[in-house]
Amino acid sequence: MFPLQITRRDSATGPVLYVTGDLDHHYAPVLRDQVERLDVKAGQCLVIDLAGLEFCDSSGITALLAARQFAQAAGADFALAAVPDNTLRILTIVGLHRIFTIHPGSNAV
Amino acid sequence: MMCLTGEEPESTLGENEARHGTEQDAELDAAFTVLLEDSAEELYESAPCGYLSTMLDGTIAKINATLLDWLGLRREAVVARMRFADLLTVGGKLYHETHFAPLLRMRGELHGIALEMTTAGGGRLPVLVSSVIKHGSEGEPLLVRTTVFDASDRRAYEQELLRRRHEAEQARAEAEQARAEAERARAEAERARRQAEADRAELADALAALQQALVPTSLPVVPGLETAVHYHTASPVRLGGDFYDLFRLDERRWAFFLGDVSGKGPQAAAVTSLTRYTLRAAALLDPEPATALTTLNAVLHERYAADGDPRYCTAIVGIAEPAADPGCITIRLASGGHPPALLLRADGQTDFLPTPGGMLVGALPTAVFTTAETTLAPGDTMLLYTDGLTEARTGPRRDSLYGEAALRAFAADLAPAGPQQAINALTGLLTSFGDGLDDDTALLALGVPALGSQTRPTPDGT
Repeated sequence: MFPLQITRRDSATGPVLYVTGDLDHHYAPVLRDQVERLDVKAGQCLVIDLAGLEFCDSSGITALLAARQFAQAAGADFALAAVPDNTLRILTIVGLHRIFTIHPGSNAV
Repeated sequence: MMCLTGEEPESTLGENEARHGTEQDAELDAAFTVLLEDSAEELYESAPCGYLSTMLDGTIAKINATLLDWLGLRREAVVARMRFADLLTVGGKLYHETHFAPLLRMRGELHGIALEMTTAGGGRLPVLVSSVIKHGSEGEPLLVRTTVFDASDRRAYEQELLRRRHEAEQARAEAEQARAEAERARAEAERARRQAEADRAELADALAALQQALVPTSLPVVPGLETAVHYHTASPVRLGGDFYDLFRLDERRWAFFLGDVSGKGPQAAAVTSLTRYTLRAAALLDPEPATALTTLNAVLHERYAADGDPRYCTAIVGIAEPAADPGCITIRLASGGHPPALLLRADGQTDFLPTPGGMLVGALPTAVFTTAETTLAPGDTMLLYTDGLTEARTGPRRDSLYGEAALRAFAADLAPAGPQQAINALTGLLTSFGDGLDDDTALLALGVPALGSQTRPTPDGT
């Protein structure tokens, strides 16, 4: 078990959330809650950086979908960055790799 | 009085006893005289018990000082003025009248009768009374001689015994009551336990009934097709999030599906139920598998995602119908975000039937589903499974998962295998995961019986 940690950085293009730990049944609501507190403006891009993600189950996928929906409702774009291989595999199985904009590298430098 | 004589030192009697006998006897007599200064009268008056003599009518003729002293009465007030019964309490008088006096007349003597006397101070004196009738020379009764013993101590002792006995009775009664209360409490606890068991059984029945709404109780018999299924719920009291079904569309075609709803528990079960009956209805209206998934996507998205509570499922929906080649079955299926079906061919070859890019059902307003088609020849088996199988943990880390590659290798060792054989082998595999299998798992296998093998009896005899 890796407790979920979320740090936020505001870049020129919009907020970036760095997610580390487990995005599971227990912690996914934390991400959803954090996302809903964000001030995302139309034309910006909300990025969730998953470089530190240890584990992601269907609850985590749901939280990522909800984040995408939240950004789109604000007129903003949404992207995932540095998706770990196992999570990318799941996204591919469920066809969401075609829905999410996925940046190969991490912005966390 | 006699005992005192025993205390006379025997040493005074010696071998000169005979010679000095007369002298010594005189000395003894003198000693006795000193000791026995009590005259008979003195002895009567001061004896350690009461004496009285009464006429036959009860009138007291003589009474000793001891008894007068006990009763606090003066002799002048008693002798010739009172009768024996006058010395008694009311109850004593009654007893004397009804029992004591008649018995005494009849027997001539009575011993140790318990009576109560009243004292001048108003107190009660428990006594033991013995009486004898003195007769004259002609045998005629003359008077009654009576001795009275103070029984206060004895009465107190008896009352103490009674009190102790009463206390013991009370303690026994209290213990009995406590035992009865404990018994009642035990019975109450037993009733509560039975009620809890009944409630649990009722809940289990309700869950079982609901579970049967999610998956069919048994699979129908499909002509020319052998089927087998395995359904594992992670917890016996938790409704599964996995679902499957197999049902007839028309004379030639059968529909089947298998899937997995996101989340767990009653909410997931509600989604499962909606999903199952939507797919059934959609497949009946339009036998194109992708269309059934599109309908389901619209239903789930409208019901849940629009409310900000996205719930979705992954599913494979398929149609089976006889192929142009006799004995072969054509399978046409569509996948929405579900792991690919696995084909175990009669020649031992094992392959996934790829359905890439089919999207989660219900997550997005519009979704794309991928369709694939294959033909099952005699000896071919197709396996559908949920990710409880491929996502079972095989190592200490949460992401050490069994995976599709291992499943394919397992199937390759198995093939060729009929549906029931494949399901049996996979059930054993699931058991071997132990605690690693922490999710629901559904397995559904469809296959065309190998040529020359025993086929299952079917209703129309094919």
